[in-house]
Amino acid sequence: MVKQSKRRRVLPGFGLSMGYTVIYLSLIVLIPIAVLFLKATTISLAEFWETITDERVVASYKLTFYTSFVAAMVNVLFGTLIAWVLVRYDFVGKRFVDALVDLPFALPTAVAGIALTAIYAPNGWIGQYFEAAGVKIAYTQYGIMIALTFIGLPFVVRSVQPVLQELDQQYEEAAATLGANSAQIFFKIIFPAIFPAVLTGFGLAFARALGEYGSVVFISGNMPMKTEIVPLLIITKLEQYNYGGAAAIAAVMLVISFLLLFLINFWQWRTARKHQVT
Amino acid sequence: MGITITGVTKKFGAYPAVKDINLEIPTGDFVALLGPSGSGKTTLLRLIAGLEGLDTGSIIFNGVDFSFKNVKERKVGFVFQHYALFKHMTIFENVAFGLKVRPRKLRPSRSEIKDKVLELLRLVQLEHLADRYPSQLSGGQRQRIALARALAVEPEVLLLDEPFGALDAKVRQELRHWLREIHRKLNITTVFVTHDQEEALEMADTVVVMNHGKIEQIGSPAEVYERPANAFVYSFLGRVNEFRGAALYNDVAIARDSAVEAVGYIRPHEIGLSRFSNGVGIPAEASHVNAVGSTVRVVLKRLDTEDYFEAELTSGNFRELGPFHKGDILYADFTNIVVFEAITDSEHSKEREKVTVGAFSAFT
Repeated sequence: MVKQSKRRRVLPGFGLSMGYTVIYLSLIVLIPIAVLFLKATTISLAEFWETITDERVVASYKLTFYTSFVAAMVNVLFGTLIAWVLVRYDFVGKRFVDALVDLPFALPTAVAGIALTAIYAPNGWIGQYFEAAGVKIAYTQYGIMIALTFIGLPFVVRSVQPVLQELDQQYEEAAATLGANSAQIFFKIIFPAIFPAVLTGFGLAFARALGEYGSVVFISGNMPMKTEIVPLLIITKLEQYNYGGAAAIAAVMLVISFLLLFLINFWQWRTARKHQVT
Repeated sequence: MGITITGVTKKFGAYPAVKDINLEIPTGDFVALLGPSGSGKTTLLRLIAGLEGLDTGSIIFNGVDFSFKNVKERKVGFVFQHYALFKHMTIFENVAFGLKVRPRKLRPSRSEIKDKVLELLRLVQLEHLADRYPSQLSGGQRQRIALARALAVEPEVLLLDEPFGALDAKVRQELRHWLREIHRKLNITTVFVTHDQEEALEMADTVVVMNHGKIEQIGSPAEVYERPANAFVYSFLGRVNEFRGAALYNDVAIARDSAVEAVGYIRPHEIGLSRFSNGVGIPAEASHVNAVGSTVRVVLKRLDTEDYFEAELTSGNFRELGPFHKGDILYADFTNIVVFEAITDSEHSKEREKVTVGAFSAFT
């Protein structure tokens, strides 16, 4: 890094900007997280192990990662589709739809949770039809997935949209003249080009879903072992003044999340690099 | 494969890009679609490829109506202006793409694909770059790979959109020879679009001159250059001097009271210069003499109308004439002037002005 800073650049200020970045990240991200880990060490190793291997905690870890993953995957599928429609077609109300995409960001998540619960509850607008078919949505894992899909929707759309916009149609035309059919053009030409952006969107949506609390608590029903997510468990521990236990659960959650996000980012970086080798 | 285009029109919104095009391209021909930007030449090429749908008319390939067949069915090789190489694939994968996307029944085996791709890379002399990515190649190399990729599907027609537009002069010159060579080897019907008259005249067997979505003239390079059908073709192919009004009436004996406005064109090398008046010459003053190289370019000012024009003579003729300098009076012979009816509709007059500017820019 020192070597790099000595290279002559057109714009000066590597030291200043790098220094600012380190301080900023420390104050906002690193120090609070370090304190969290510090807090987790206030309990003994045995206690720590007992807390995190508790049946109920393990079940909540599984549930949180599983539902977040499914929600992020759903967002990849439909987010890409929405981005595609917004970029490729002109229709009445396009701007309106475009603005609608960002709404999950603006809405307080608790409001979203209450609204979704009202709709998907067994006697709700949509829930009643599923209830008739014998499928429960609210107060089950499906409800959690729907809430997590809702709050993660904008990430994939907004990551993929600009890349799709930049994608020159001549590549598709070239593929068509070479005899490729529509599916081949999409999977061999368009998808590889937008894949890094899709991965970024997936990573963001997944991360957002892991930490989500507000919308989920209303729709999940919070049944231990069944629909209890990690953030809820942490809150429960805090309400019992079990700060050490809460920190322990959070620390494990954080490590797993970090590893997953790091892997996704690494993968994203590698595909992006492979596609635009210099 | 021969192509017959009859009555083809294509509009973008209300704007007609090509209007009522009729064109017959025999098998194995090497055709240039030549015209200024906005003349509809690229649209016509894309219509042949099936990348655009036509509004009226028909496009027939070897007696079979292809008007409404999609791109896939047409078996054309298309080389895009900016090559459109797939960035995430190696050169090998790019060239192999057309073979790999074939339905399983028609797809060659892996080793057959490999042999075919390597053969094509040998043809374009870039075998050693098979494992590189497009971004690691120079413009000229990318162009050759784009051609190899188009040839991989064994097209019966090869279409090239401004194939050398984005390359520097030296590479362009090399690739022109090279493309002619490929055409000679494969004898595949080839149509290319260009706005460079020199390129069209040098490479093509048949030149199709287009303007405002219409074909102005079809013919061999010699035909369109020697016997241009109208004022546009004349002024678009090569440097010209344009005379109208009083200047023109002094040069040639045409009826002054003719109802249509006339315009005269003469190429710089067709102007005869002499030291002494021989009855037909118009006196003119040399205002700039450029004697570098085998041709001598002279800018002169007519003494009768004060119009500037350019004359060109070989260095041999220049010496014969006795070297003259700026300020000398010479007599210019305009007997070779070609007179056309001036194009009057407003759309065309814009074009004419552009041409005039082009002609005069040669003087500065």
